[in-house]
Amino acid sequence: MSEPTVVLGAGAPARVRRSRLIDRGFRGTTLVVGLGLIALLALLLVELTTGAWRTFDRFGLHFFVGTSWNPVAGREAFGALPFIFGSLVTSGVAIVIGVPIAVGLALLLNQVRGAIANPLAVFVDILAAIPSVVYGLWALFVLKPILDSSVEPFLIGTLGKVPAIGAVFHGKAQGPDLFTAGVILAIMILPIVTAVSREVIAVVPRDLREAALALGATRYESVRLAVLPYARSGIVGASMLGLGRALGETIAVSLVVGNTPRIGWSLMDPGATIPSWIASSFREATSVGLHRSALLALAVTLVVMAFILALLSRLLVRRTAELVSGPSANVPVTQGVLPTAG
Amino acid sequence: MSAAAGTVSLGPVRGIRRVKDTGFTVFLWTCAGLALVPLTWIAVYVVSKGVGALSWNFFTKEPAGPLNPQQGGIVQSFVGTGLIVGIATVIAVPLGILAGIYLAEYGKGRTASGIRLVAYVLLSTPSIVAGAFIWALVVVALGNFSALAGGLSLVVLMWPIVAIASEAVLRLVPQELREGALALGLPRWKTIVRVVMPTAGAGLLTAVMLAVARALGETAPILLTALGNDHINTDIRAPTDAVPLRVYDYARTPVEALHSIAWGGALVLLAAVLFLAISARILSNRQQKRIA
Amino acid sequence: MRKTRRLAGAGAFALAIALVAVACSSSSSSSGSSGGGFEGTALTGAGATFPDPIYEQWFKDFQQIESGAKINYQAIGSGGGVEQFTAKTVDFGASDAPLQADEIKALPTGSIELPTVLGGVVIAYNVSGLDTGLKLDGTTAAKIFLGDIKTWNDPAIAALNPGVGLPSTPISVVHRSDESGTTFVYTSWLSSQSKDWDTKVGADKAVQWPTGTGGDGNDGVAAAIGQTDGSIGYLSFDFAVSANLGIGAIKAADGSFIAPSIDSISKAGGGLTFPIQPTTNILDPSATGAYPIATTTYLLLYEDGTDANKAQTIFDFVTWALTKGQSTVQQLNYSPLPPDVASKALAALAAMTASGQALTASPAVTG
Repeated sequence: MSEPTVVLGAGAPARVRRSRLIDRGFRGTTLVVGLGLIALLALLLVELTTGAWRTFDRFGLHFFVGTSWNPVAGREAFGALPFIFGSLVTSGVAIVIGVPIAVGLALLLNQVRGAIANPLAVFVDILAAIPSVVYGLWALFVLKPILDSSVEPFLIGTLGKVPAIGAVFHGKAQGPDLFTAGVILAIMILPIVTAVSREVIAVVPRDLREAALALGATRYESVRLAVLPYARSGIVGASMLGLGRALGETIAVSLVVGNTPRIGWSLMDPGATIPSWIASSFREATSVGLHRSALLALAVTLVVMAFILALLSRLLVRRTAELVSGPSANVPVTQGVLPTAG
Repeated sequence: MSAAAGTVSLGPVRGIRRVKDTGFTVFLWTCAGLALVPLTWIAVYVVSKGVGALSWNFFTKEPAGPLNPQQGGIVQSFVGTGLIVGIATVIAVPLGILAGIYLAEYGKGRTASGIRLVAYVLLSTPSIVAGAFIWALVVVALGNFSALAGGLSLVVLMWPIVAIASEAVLRLVPQELREGALALGLPRWKTIVRVVMPTAGAGLLTAVMLAVARALGETAPILLTALGNDHINTDIRAPTDAVPLRVYDYARTPVEALHSIAWGGALVLLAAVLFLAISARILSNRQQKRIA
Repeated sequence: MRKTRRLAGAGAFALAIALVAVACSSSSSSSGSSGGGFEGTALTGAGATFPDPIYEQWFKDFQQIESGAKINYQAIGSGGGVEQFTAKTVDFGASDAPLQADEIKALPTGSIELPTVLGGVVIAYNVSGLDTGLKLDGTTAAKIFLGDIKTWNDPAIAALNPGVGLPSTPISVVHRSDESGTTFVYTSWLSSQSKDWDTKVGADKAVQWPTGTGGDGNDGVAAAIGQTDGSIGYLSFDFAVSANLGIGAIKAADGSFIAPSIDSISKAGGGLTFPIQPTTNILDPSATGAYPIATTTYLLLYEDGTDANKAQTIFDFVTWALTKGQSTVQQLNYSPLPPDVASKALAALAAMTASGQALTASPAVTG
């Protein structure tokens, strides 16, 4: 019993100590790098807010409710409302069109297993990788002409005539508009909303649904009674994730939205979103006046919105997992980062 | 609805219930159609439009003057994208994997969940914001748009992706492997580097490929940080071109010949990104099978 | 695992190719002065979007003369050009508007401001069934851009165009959404033509548009007009021509309608006076047959260059652009400077020095 101790004590102490040191150093390094992420977030917020400070200082809360944007020296006025409006409207259209389709697709992928579901799921996951500039190019040269020539005239001619909601579909079909931007956003958020909805639907225990089916419920009823109640908050979380993506999307929107700071009822009119406006003005802006600072203030506004949505969405998706397996459950929800298992 | 469900579910399936159920099935398949049609359309359209633009000049020449734009190429964009994404990858991958190791291997308690939450939040950073941030931090400090700034703006996007994805992948490695290695007297760090990471190898590569795929296609951050360049540039402190940026700029010109080059650029981007995404998927599937 | 390795191998291989490609390209880019004459050196410039096509072409052509003169020009806009020039992050700047008093005050060193080419701001439209050459005057144009005239068959337009079948298509106005020298020129002209415009909107690089859609850059405006039936907008002449849009003829001071052309714009340039002042413009010239909405664009140079090679390259390039280069401009639908204006610009360039030493153009440029 004493012998091994002696051997260790004689030959190893230096090596053991060094090994322990390396071990601690390695752990420390990974910890520092991990904390680096927190530092990155802090630096990002501090740097943007510092850059935007002159604007917030001068306009205060009026920055968020002001409706005019004029970068010309001497007449400077910076109000973010038209861009906040444009972002919310285009993302809203995207959610209204995209989420039902995405959830429908996710339900389908969960129902038909095997031969059809797998390739379909793979396909949808992979489409999440298409760069936004490719969506933008297609939206500009294919989607926009089609919407302009058939879909929008139809909407204007039918829904546009309905009292109350008519104003939303009023105007002319041609040209860039909020509606086109909303449609391309709906297409762009499909893969992510589908992927996350699928994950949350998949954690609903199968025996629940099977029990419903065994009791003689139809498929629809089994989904209605055994799946949706559990997956609901997760699906809302998935939609928020989609909303966050839509709010932050820059390039595709910038190509079709018209980049016009404007607030109005109709979806058929051009508008501008926060990111599309930053992208189109940034290179031209100068630091002499407040223009660059005001664009950074827009960036602050956007990033705060995106982060709040991300937090809410994570909460909701986790709640689905907890609802199913209890609060201690550690169901890894990768939120569309990794391809989900096929 | 749920109160009535108990009675409803006992009866035979017919009448309104059958109609509803059929309607539901139709709805699901319609959703699938509505989702897949535009997505397939995009892929097919980009290929059909882009193939015509691919030529020797396209890959080897800088843009020709406006008198004969069709003779030009976008070689400077390929070199620039390589440079910018290269810088981003070299920085973001080690950082991301180290953070992932912390979260998967050491992280417990409040620190770890704090880092994890921040990583998730950062994951949702709008790409234009990453660009504006690096503009304020790097471009202003250096007094110049540059490939370095472009690369750093992509690091902001890639670091959390690699961190979260590699954590997920490392967690898939069975606990027994670690315990076995530790029992053999291997120190913790060696267990991670020699046993856990090689086991997760393909998965880690997957994480990296997904992050690179994301970075390759990013336009907005590059627009604010690297600016663009009509010539090949290999100086990381100078303005640099990138394929997505070139596609964006060309899409906005009224010149048909440049639209065609833009489609070509979009096709190359799409091919590269899909190649990465598909290989990543194949790798991760194989990995999951192997571990399971 | 083996597959993985193979994949990793493929990746490494691709990376190696990329590195070799980069290495090759960087070795080819470092061409100094070889042979007998001065070969020029790489330059960076930034600024106005309006002269971008001709500058790009000039840089290509000039590289035939001085092979080392790889000039990277980024069309980030006049405002950006002045800012980069002031911050000394570029070797030269470019702006569509003359430097303003506060901008001159902010400059770190002495600078030279000289015109390079002339261009016109045209009123372009896309109305199915309507040919090019629609006649417009300042007051009508102002009313259209104010949103007071809403359809193409409005009596005010019809009165200017007797016998032309005007459709009842609604007018959709397209304007620049970004800050731009083109907007400055166009709104200055509208302000000079219409009291209403002057009081309600005014003239500047960006204004509060009463109506219409924003287009991002000349490109964006041209694209928006091209894609939208019934649209009207303003953009620089060259963009309108290459986008195949309908172009309006504008009523001149003497009552005649002048269509923009290389010649009619060049005529307007005759009125340019030196030295360039913050208020310099060539709008509504009195010369017969001169196009009313013409403008020039300026290069901004540092008076004293500290890098002798760069200074010499810039000096050579500008000398060449103001002489031989002027013959190319028409192919891209710009107008050359009238000869006397070009020689005045050359005289302004003569003030440029390299570390205090006067410069003379290389033989290859003058020969």
